[in-house]
Amino acid sequence: MSFLQQLKVLIVDDTSTSRMLIRDGLEQLGIRNIIHANDGEQALKMMMSTPAHLIISDFNMPKLDGLQLLQAIRSYKPTAATPFIILTGKADATVLARGRALGLNNYLMKPVDMDALKRAIEGVVGKLR
Amino acid sequence: MASLATGNHIIQGEYRVTADPDVALTTLLGSCVAACIWDPLLHVGGMNHFLLPGDNEQQIRDSERFGVHLMELLVNALFRHGASRQRLVAKLFGGANMNSQLADIGSRNAEFAQRFLRNEDIKIVGESLGGDRARKLQFWPATGRARQMLLPKDVAPSEPRKTLVPDLAGSGAVELF
Repeated sequence: MSFLQQLKVLIVDDTSTSRMLIRDGLEQLGIRNIIHANDGEQALKMMMSTPAHLIISDFNMPKLDGLQLLQAIRSYKPTAATPFIILTGKADATVLARGRALGLNNYLMKPVDMDALKRAIEGVVGKLR
Repeated sequence: MASLATGNHIIQGEYRVTADPDVALTTLLGSCVAACIWDPLLHVGGMNHFLLPGDNEQQIRDSERFGVHLMELLVNALFRHGASRQRLVAKLFGGANMNSQLADIGSRNAEFAQRFLRNEDIKIVGESLGGDRARKLQFWPATGRARQMLLPKDVAPSEPRKTLVPDLAGSGAVELF
């Protein structure tokens, strides 16, 4: 199996339309192994049972927001090094500084540009093709 | 880009959420669509106003991504006011096909809004979409009450044909840490 076929990506977003948009973008890049969660709590459970290689998460979510999820992922040893990309509505310097301090790998602004999505993923897992 | 309206009149690309029972949000719609979404138990609601243009498939995809973003901003603002996703209901207005030369842009905007709400399980409890006349809309977010007036056929709101979508490339910018 190729790298892209093996790469498992977890999309976390409470808006199902947004999850579908990101899934479409990932599929266009050749990524096939995609799972989703509606919120941070569900994402954490999934990461503990069937961990993904990369997490793409919305920031603005009920229960756990994107940064709280990141913090939880980083503090759980088996997932502490999993690349984490956050999607935000606006580039808030405080949020990004907190993200950086928590070990955020990258962020993307919504609405997500598909080329930017590709660059962001390549930035954390290496060239896709 | 999308922004929070400062007054009670919502123009294209804006949205506003309030729980103030005395506030009526207003807007003027041609091909644009306004989604009015509220939580009937908490008496908090809001409105957005968008136009998703595009002459070809790529442009349409880009503008729909922007549309999803605008809908999300409204819904997220409702959550911040304490609204519950399960209780949200919506009314849709606008999407007129104002000009036969502009094909079906109004219908496309209306279908987009319906599709989004269906995907998100937000029930549409009222809608007035399509036709060929502009609409003047008033919406009371706290109660969900809405009142519209169809304008005479030759009256079109002065919508910028150029859209608020343009900067998508920049908006998706990545900053590598």
